[in-house]
Amino acid sequence: MKVYNIKFLFAALCASVLVVGCSNDDDNMNPVTPTIEVDFSGSFSQVDHIGRPGINTVLSRSADIKNMHNVTIPSMMQATFQESFEAQLEGLHDAYAIALGFTAADVDYQPNILGDILNGAEPTSETNPNPVSATVLTTVLANDVLEVAPNAPTTYFNAGAGAPTFDGAIGFTGRALQDDVIDISLILLFGGETGARFNGQDGFPQLVTDGVSITADNISTSFPYIGAPE
Amino acid sequence: MKKIKIFAVLGILLAAPIFIAADHIDAPGVAGTSADIADFYAFEPTTGSDNTVFIVDVQSNVLPDLTYGAFDEDVLIEINIDLDGDLVEDQVIQAIPRDGTMYFFGPFSPSSTGLTSQVATGSALGSVEISATTAITTTTSNGVSLFAGPRQDAFYFDFIRFNEVIAPSPSDNSGFNVPGTDTFDGANTLSIALEVPNALLGTPTAVNVIGVPVYKTWVTTNRKQ
Repeated sequence: MKVYNIKFLFAALCASVLVVGCSNDDDNMNPVTPTIEVDFSGSFSQVDHIGRPGINTVLSRSADIKNMHNVTIPSMMQATFQESFEAQLEGLHDAYAIALGFTAADVDYQPNILGDILNGAEPTSETNPNPVSATVLTTVLANDVLEVAPNAPTTYFNAGAGAPTFDGAIGFTGRALQDDVIDISLILLFGGETGARFNGQDGFPQLVTDGVSITADNISTSFPYIGAPE
Repeated sequence: MKKIKIFAVLGILLAAPIFIAADHIDAPGVAGTSADIADFYAFEPTTGSDNTVFIVDVQSNVLPDLTYGAFDEDVLIEINIDLDGDLVEDQVIQAIPRDGTMYFFGPFSPSSTGLTSQVATGSALGSVEISATTAITTTTSNGVSLFAGPRQDAFYFDFIRFNEVIAPSPSDNSGFNVPGTDTFDGANTLSIALEVPNALLGTPTAVNVIGVPVYKTWVTTNRKQ
């Protein structure tokens, strides 16, 4: 069984070599199937998981939760982690409230720009509330998978023209190498309805950017798209 | 009640060891091991392309004393793709190294899902020599480009400041610095990359929050038992 599978594998490999190489090696058309046996036997158990960047790091509030998150299947994640993610989100706001001399009750998560965008042309108001509450946001984030659109440009999230119109806003179509996923995550967690709450102005802390951008030689325009090691 | 919660949170934050996004060193159980996922990217390579690129980074030398340098033959990397939005994988791509070569399997529909896997030897995709500094790539007969080897860590983040930012105090409550310092500048990671024709993955019926059809994807590492 194993030998059969290996031959199958190498037959596929030889076919790929022919496709690549036939244009400049037309005389050598006698591929020999190697008889090397490669052992892929055994059972493998999951030890780590990633969907969206930074979710486990930022929103899992204890070592036990972080470890559990890595061995939980995505269809169980919302039920398992949403509540603790929301507590962590509010806890971080509370921590800043205390550090700034307020009480914890004074500073809460504020529904974010995604909710404004989802509200479309109708302005967010008391009668048309922002739908992205802390519960809604952490419910979305608890389902820790990366969405990627096969037939749309890739953008982790782009607020377009920004508040108040958000013209051209797009997102949730994948993660490109150059996407600033940390700033986007910070904006959605701490940026409130303008995306600029806690922007380092007027005595507020800077919580909507980490102040760094991609190093140019990290990426390239051709496969494999990532720069040679230093 | 509220105060108890605050102090509990602060206590946890202050007691926590240094940890890093995106997934680098994310949890004590796997941090710094040969199976530690560093990052995951999935994107359309050019506007209008009928391919999707998947890049998975494992291990990183961003901090001293982390496991870095060689893919582990006991670690199976899996890219999971959900088409219908139930968050259960409908297509799987596997990668595992043997003797300087990275072998790829799939995309295949798994006969069972969950936390335990076997290598789908009946669904061989192709293989590529693990690169040194210069990238060695290959393209399979069904049009999938393959790569495995060390690359620059493309992630960028001021993680040193981050670990201070999440534990504010009355004397340090200003948040991030602008400009910050990119902790990952100069760091390397071990990458696998695939560029896959979408036709091999299937047509998604799942949609994202703004109604665009999407694959729902995630990556796992799995250690041989």
